[in-house]
Amino acid sequence: MKWKNILTIALAACVIFGFSAAGFLKAPEAYSMAERRSLAQKPALSSQQLLSGKYMSQFEDFSLDQFPLRDNMRTLKAAASRYVFLQKDNHGIYEHDGYWSKLEYPMNSGKVARSGDKLREVYETYLEGTGCKVYLSVIPDKNYFLAPRGGYPVMDYSQLVENLREKLDFAEYIDIFGDLSLESFYKTDQHWRQETLSGVARTLADAMGAEISRNFTVQELPVPFYGAYCGQAALRMQPDTLYYLTGDLLDECTVTSFNTGLPTASFMYDMEKAYGKDPYEMFLSGSDALLTIENPNAATEKELVVFRDSFGSSLAPLLASGYSKITLVDLRYLQSGLLGNFIDFENQDVLFLYSTLVLNNTVSM
Amino acid sequence: MVFSGIPFLYYFLPATILLYLAAPRKLKNAVLLLASLVFYAWGEQRLVLLFAATILLGWLLGLLIERFREKVWSRVFLWLSVLTTLGLLGYFKYADFFMESLNSAFGLSLPLLRVALPIGISFYTFQILSYTIDVYRGDVAAQRNLIDFAAYVSMFPQLIAGPIVRYSDIAGQLTARTHRLDKVASGVRRFLVGLGKKVLIANVLGQLCTQFRQTSQPSILFHWLYAVAFMLQIYFDFSGYSDMAIGLGRLFGFDFPENFNYPYISKSITEFWRRWHMTLGSWFRDYVYIPLGGNRRGIGRQLFNILVVWMLTGLWHGAAWNFVLWGIFYALLLTAEKVGLKKALDTHGALGHVYVLLAVLLGFVLFNADSLDQAAQDIAGMFAFGKLPLFSAEAVYYLRSYGVVLLLAVLGATPLPKRVIAALSENRKLTRSWNVLEPLLLTGLLLVVTAYLVDGSFNPFLYFRF
Repeated sequence: MKWKNILTIALAACVIFGFSAAGFLKAPEAYSMAERRSLAQKPALSSQQLLSGKYMSQFEDFSLDQFPLRDNMRTLKAAASRYVFLQKDNHGIYEHDGYWSKLEYPMNSGKVARSGDKLREVYETYLEGTGCKVYLSVIPDKNYFLAPRGGYPVMDYSQLVENLREKLDFAEYIDIFGDLSLESFYKTDQHWRQETLSGVARTLADAMGAEISRNFTVQELPVPFYGAYCGQAALRMQPDTLYYLTGDLLDECTVTSFNTGLPTASFMYDMEKAYGKDPYEMFLSGSDALLTIENPNAATEKELVVFRDSFGSSLAPLLASGYSKITLVDLRYLQSGLLGNFIDFENQDVLFLYSTLVLNNTVSM
Repeated sequence: MVFSGIPFLYYFLPATILLYLAAPRKLKNAVLLLASLVFYAWGEQRLVLLFAATILLGWLLGLLIERFREKVWSRVFLWLSVLTTLGLLGYFKYADFFMESLNSAFGLSLPLLRVALPIGISFYTFQILSYTIDVYRGDVAAQRNLIDFAAYVSMFPQLIAGPIVRYSDIAGQLTARTHRLDKVASGVRRFLVGLGKKVLIANVLGQLCTQFRQTSQPSILFHWLYAVAFMLQIYFDFSGYSDMAIGLGRLFGFDFPENFNYPYISKSITEFWRRWHMTLGSWFRDYVYIPLGGNRRGIGRQLFNILVVWMLTGLWHGAAWNFVLWGIFYALLLTAEKVGLKKALDTHGALGHVYVLLAVLLGFVLFNADSLDQAAQDIAGMFAFGKLPLFSAEAVYYLRSYGVVLLLAVLGATPLPKRVIAALSENRKLTRSWNVLEPLLLTGLLLVVTAYLVDGSFNPFLYFRF
């Protein structure tokens, strides 16, 4: 009994004092590659911070973010939740048939309405009476296909689309749900796979009266693609393979970014980012407030403006052949009030193309 | 600061233990006091001075009550203690509740104070009150050392969520206590078990309750799932906290009173309240029920006393009508048991279990509601046959996802695990293996809990709001 008591105290003390000492000695990390976010840093100590209680709450964030072996701890938690307590999801992230996803449930009517209001405001400010043809298309997220298969809760996607269409009654709706399947998505990431999007591109182009090329060569990125869910789930998973489409037409297109306010040459496929922390960012260099793709070989003068999220980055190259210029706008990074400084709306095709992930969650759009 | 948080476990606790070990015997209470004030100030920066002033006043009045024992001044100082401590509690906790009630009943527009409720005020008020009353009654001698007294009231293991440790419980240990190996080890064991109950069961079930509140598919199954989950959550949350408090107390040489004794195995509500939050129940018994006459003045007066005690018990838990109703609900059940129901229950054990579980379940639905309307909706939803679907895809999903945790919680709420562990440690063939396995399991538990804390953000203690 005596030795049991000694062992009990010694082991508990080793864990508590060991992690405590390691926490003091460990240099703070700035960024978590697994979680793809900046980590909290030690707060500055001041009487004002102390009296307001901010120091305490910031210190608690710091103590969690900078805990020694944080990623291993997250893995231990995820494994205990999944394999010991047999929980079906961990922070909403679940796996079924080898596909990982995050529960997108229930529908957030308020946020969908706010997204619709924002897009309507753009229409009323810039598009109404300009001769632009306006289209709306909604990209279903992976849960639409995956969740029902595994008995996970599914939001009412048709209601979401209906709510949005009511708000954007000025736009012609293009249904692309039927052009997608579970296989259109990466297993470890929320995004769709570019090489599976020819059907989506064709449906959109047909509805907008554009003719697009189907001549692409499929290229394989020679490094494994660990999607966003790898880090978020904190569990070991098989990586995806990322493919991208190339061709002469795309090679000759000019991509220009206006992220800084000034035109800057950019890339259709940013190979530096392909080998970076999030390879999906290779498509049009990832997050970009405003970007244009100019096609010198276009058989038409038609232009397209796409209001989009990150799903649009991998789709836009497939539409490039049908237009002389495609302008991609991400309202999450660009105040809509500044749009007029960059775009003259006149007779273009305008496509509002958003994923349900953004419509159901965004607060910034 | 909460026990089940990284700042407590890996910053505050090791630092406090090191300081405590390094301090000479005479200064150990001073170290505990200092640590307790830091612990309190971490969550209550502005009202720490009020806390200190309340302690000082309690100490002074205790001395004065003793000094003027058998004289009228002794009673005056006792009343001063009662009025000031309850006055502060009333001001911070109940003033707005009463003014809102008056406003709504008589169409008045009395301005609300909107003051923040100091953490732990319900607990330390009762501790100071019991001390001054006990000194007045001559049950304990007044504490002359301010540091010892302040260390008792503010002692961080039991400061903010109990158990309600009476001065008489630990008066001797404040001046002379032992730090034995077996006591420290049992403290470590108790603390880790409580931590596991809180983090792995209560917090996880709390997430299920949150999902219920956010559902877009209400169903009868989900209402029951929520009710059961909350009933288990509050038990594991509060009893887990009490386990941690008792365990920490042992680390520092104190023996705190037990607060829970498997309440969900009770066969009557009378028994339930002897097993649930025992230190609160005994406090009300000794300082309210018995002084009111208890059961010595006939059945009518006894039932009245029960009603008063349970209305106060409800109000102690929160300044809202659902808590008052919750208290009255128990007063009615206890009254029914006093006038005959208990005899019937005693002869039908299984029926008693079902009755207690159902009553407690409904009681906690009422307890956890934000308003009486919500309580009515939640309870109606449990019996809304024909109005709500029996189940929904969402409810079935969450039942599957939380099924194992619910099952573990149900088993853990019975003495079964304790009996299994006792059987393992008493079995001669297994004793040696168990002596190694148990410390390893507890260490594994600490690591898994730490992993949950590092990964999670849902960690409020339900009893902090009291």
